[in-house]
Amino acid sequence: MKIFFGRLAVPLALSMSAACGSAVAKPIAFADGTTVMAEYGAGTMTEFQAFYAPTFRYSLGGGHLSLNSAENDDTRDITYLRLNYLPKRWNFESAQANVFVWGGLGRAHIGETGADEFTWNAGGQLDYETRRVYASLRMDYYDASAFSHRIDTLQLGIAPYEHDYETLAVWFVVQAREYTGDLFDGTEWAGLIRLFKHNAWLEAGATREGKLQAMLMFNF
Amino acid sequence: MKTSHLLIALTLFFPTVQAGTIEMTVNGLVCGFCAQGIEKTLRKNPATADVLVSLENRLVAVMTKDGADITDADLRKALTDAGYDVKAIERTGRSMNELRARLKAGT
Repeated sequence: MKIFFGRLAVPLALSMSAACGSAVAKPIAFADGTTVMAEYGAGTMTEFQAFYAPTFRYSLGGGHLSLNSAENDDTRDITYLRLNYLPKRWNFESAQANVFVWGGLGRAHIGETGADEFTWNAGGQLDYETRRVYASLRMDYYDASAFSHRIDTLQLGIAPYEHDYETLAVWFVVQAREYTGDLFDGTEWAGLIRLFKHNAWLEAGATREGKLQAMLMFNF
Repeated sequence: MKTSHLLIALTLFFPTVQAGTIEMTVNGLVCGFCAQGIEKTLRKNPATADVLVSLENRLVAVMTKDGADITDADLRKALTDAGYDVKAIERTGRSMNELRARLKAGT
């Protein structure tokens, strides 16, 4: 419990001090919408996801997550099915805020032992966005008998101008990410530029260590 | 004279629904993905001829086909089911082209 709140303290404090909202990638784009996403996280994580949302409240799908420890030779390859749920949305005049939760089941391949294990995952996201500022705080937890990992990601973004539906959206984003379970020591900071228009989203940048951080997403 | 009386009578007894534009003020419109989802939802309605979304103006406009209409209740349900809040619905005589021009001019 102490560890849980200890790890959340920094990103929560940053979120509150920023006092602004989020336009981050959401696990549910819109009703009757399909989302496909690929993320390369500085060599520590690589993830692919595909979800279909029958309504704006939930989506179903699956993904594959590869974790490669920056501290040792440990690797995990996790393939999962997942349900995403939106328990709360606030629609303001010029802003939106959301609470997402998710959970799933799958198989994990443990690189250092060669074993395959049952694994489950759970997570959540708080976000708030206007057309000029956003913030999101996301937590992912993966558990198996051989490991447990948490990945906490905080993003704060600012847009140089207010985009509209027919114009390109540009965001400058600062990302802070922490891993548990000897995947990465400390906080991994990254600076990103995000572009999106209509159904396509591209985000790319670098961590403080100079490693690539990138994400590609399509909604249709 | 007889012809004009006949036309008036026909209009009174056989009213036809003309294509019209319905303009909605919507809360929560902050990103292109929001607009994409709303447009996709509204275009599924067989009465829809065109859809326009403006994040800047919190506006969702629907032009209906000749002789077709979408009730306020159906519009509210469509937007609510898409995850957004409708604050006002107004039926105007503006064409979609006129509306696009006004939005572009910022008037």
